[in-house]
Amino acid sequence: MGILQYIRNGVIHFLLLTPLLVKSQTSPRIPPGSQLQLQVAQPMVDVSTPVTATAAFDPPAVPAGGKAFYRVNVDATESSIDWPDKLPVPAELQFGLKKSGQLTLMQANQYRPLASFVYEVTAPVAGHYTITNFSVNVSGVLVEVPAASLDVGAKISGLQVPPRLELEVSATNVFLGQPFHARVILPVGPGNEIEALREIELRGEGLMVDKTAMRQAIETINLNGELKPALICEMTVTPIAAGPLEFTAQGFTAGREFTAPISISGQVNFQGGPPKYVLLVSDPVELNVRPLPAEGELPGFTGSIGKFFQDPPHLATNRLQVGEPVQFSLSFHGEGELTRLVPPAAPASRDWQIIVDPPPAMSFTLIPLADEARQTPAIPFCYFDPVTEKYVDLTIPPQPVTVVGQGLPVEQPEVDEAGKAGARRKLSSLAPAPGKAVRSLKPLQLQSWFVGVQLAPVAGILALWQWDRRRRYLAAHPEILRRAQARRALRREKQQLQKALTAGDASAFAQHAARAMSIAVAPHFPADARAMVCADVLSQLDASAQNELGTETVRQVFAAADARFAIHRRPWPGLLALSPGVKSVLQELEEKL
Amino acid sequence: MKTPVYFMPGGHRLGVWVALALLVCLTASGRAATNDFFARGIELIRAGQFPEAAAAFEKAAGAGPSAGVLVNLGLAEWQRGHGGAAILAWERARWIDPADARAAANLEFARQVAQVDAPQLKWFETVSTWLPPNAWVWLAGTTLWLALGLLVLPGIFHWRKAGWHQLLAAMAFGAFLFSLTANFGVVSRTQIGLILKSNAPLRLTPTHGGEIISTLAAGEPVRQLRTRGKYAFVRTAGASGWIGEDEFQLVCPR
Repeated sequence: MGILQYIRNGVIHFLLLTPLLVKSQTSPRIPPGSQLQLQVAQPMVDVSTPVTATAAFDPPAVPAGGKAFYRVNVDATESSIDWPDKLPVPAELQFGLKKSGQLTLMQANQYRPLASFVYEVTAPVAGHYTITNFSVNVSGVLVEVPAASLDVGAKISGLQVPPRLELEVSATNVFLGQPFHARVILPVGPGNEIEALREIELRGEGLMVDKTAMRQAIETINLNGELKPALICEMTVTPIAAGPLEFTAQGFTAGREFTAPISISGQVNFQGGPPKYVLLVSDPVELNVRPLPAEGELPGFTGSIGKFFQDPPHLATNRLQVGEPVQFSLSFHGEGELTRLVPPAAPASRDWQIIVDPPPAMSFTLIPLADEARQTPAIPFCYFDPVTEKYVDLTIPPQPVTVVGQGLPVEQPEVDEAGKAGARRKLSSLAPAPGKAVRSLKPLQLQSWFVGVQLAPVAGILALWQWDRRRRYLAAHPEILRRAQARRALRREKQQLQKALTAGDASAFAQHAARAMSIAVAPHFPADARAMVCADVLSQLDASAQNELGTETVRQVFAAADARFAIHRRPWPGLLALSPGVKSVLQELEEKL
Repeated sequence: MKTPVYFMPGGHRLGVWVALALLVCLTASGRAATNDFFARGIELIRAGQFPEAAAAFEKAAGAGPSAGVLVNLGLAEWQRGHGGAAILAWERARWIDPADARAAANLEFARQVAQVDAPQLKWFETVSTWLPPNAWVWLAGTTLWLALGLLVLPGIFHWRKAGWHQLLAAMAFGAFLFSLTANFGVVSRTQIGLILKSNAPLRLTPTHGGEIISTLAAGEPVRQLRTRGKYAFVRTAGASGWIGEDEFQLVCPR
């Protein structure tokens, strides 16, 4: 036991001390410099050299009325310079608008910014003019701009004309969003020397310049009537604001530093030595930008302006399965700026999912969502023709397709609880006959007319109850029924009486008159009408009537009626003349019914 | 000038006969149209043209829905891959004829393949499935008025009240009460609908950009509780939310 306990305690102590014996896991250590292969050596940015400024007139001497440029270069970024609004300019000099630019130089294997400020100066009067030194604030430090002098003489010859840029545009009257070409031209200098241009910019409000499609070339062009080689930089410009616009071109001369491929035709010399970075500017160009007409705009306008033609669209396949993507390619050619052709937007469709492929591909990925689709959706598209000033429809027509649905399984093995497959379960066969049809799936309970039908039995029972009530009442009061029957019989008898009177049949007249009187008095006794005699009728007449015409009329009528029982019938002349009396008696008797 | 005679004695009888003949003609033409579309649908489904077959059966059902038409419509929809529409058609076939064996078997098979549940029915809704919906309402009407008639008519007609009158009235009234619950079940079942397309979004709010709570599978049953615009608030087995009206259809369209 003692040995076992000793072993057990030893194991427990070992387990308790185990965490102290295990070293904590640390992150792997990477030796310094092991990732140098991922880095690219970069020159330093010079921030230690003090900022300096230079100022000069170019050229330093001009004839009276001539033009020169006042240039100030500061080796700092343009945004860090707090340039003064007013310079210590002599009153005789006319300064134009300030132009400025910036580029980054590589000097002594270090990057250094250079900002340049340029004024076009006109000196109408001869003299020696000096712009005194002044200070500018560069990132909180005052930097002195040295003085510069300009000699303006009446007759100064042999001086070089300062270089400047020429700006040409393909159109000056354009529509909003209509791309056009702008050419920045730097003619050759003295000695047929040509220089490259850097940081070329078009300065002006409401313009968007596409530098990605800039083309550079050295060609011989006709400039002011003179053929001379020139550096041409062509770019696409799109006006983004309507109205009159003004813009200029500027760029730094850069010696032989061509930063993009260039085609050269003609003989030119390249400047030797290090480049001189001089900011050149052009004269302003005015542009009239008109807004696009709102009327006549067609669906699918994406801002494309020019003249375009559509090639037949191409569908990768026209037999598809539901959910299977297919590429739908479009192709356009035209006379406009094709790089600015914006492809049509994807239309909304119930049967298709439409995805616009990323540019530069002009295509869509179509996914059929249902097998009802028989054709691709029409894709509305149009462009604006600036020549005719109208919108032109270029809707991509639908393409016929066959979409096949993904069928579901029609049979499946049945698996029992033990996981064993049994008989195959499958869909039923087709129903051979439609079966009994119903008018609607909506149940009768929810149809309003059915409530009306339920009122019919209620009405029937109410009618039965009313009928029974009336029947009981009449059973208790039989005279009402007798009188009603007498009135109906009297009405029929009066009709017969009228017929006999019209026919002139005295015998029938007497018969019907007597019967009518009997019917009229029978309910008063009550008795059968056939049992009534003349006295019964007379008893129901008023006393006054008995004494007068009525009594006699009744007697004569009954006597004539009873004569039918005589063996020898005799005629009753003047019987029909009793008609008014009979009518009066019947009226009196009827009122008593 | 002789006045034309527009109405002749006995004309009302002629009108009745004309109306009856017209009614018979209309009914016969409707039945003929159903039969034409039905036969065409069977030809197309046998030729494997399922979308066209489904369209033909849809037209036949439009002329007069019947269990046979809806069973075949469901088969066409299933074979073209529209599981939700197929289950809906078979549910409608069972709505018209609860004893239709084809519809019942197909529903069981389809739900097993699509891994969706049948609608959860309450006890009175289960009772209502024993007979077609319209049979319950006629049963309720007949038994109610039979019971009332047996109670009221002997008094009116002075019949001697017999024991069988009372017994029959009591049985009719009992049948009426029973059919009332079934009728309530029928009305309650009109809320049941089925999802038509897969991954139908169930949203938190009745808006196009509403947060999606979950997505529903084709053929999954829902209960429509209320509507707002083009959305319906539905309850499923696991969640409640708003769904677009085009994503589902009621078994019994209102």
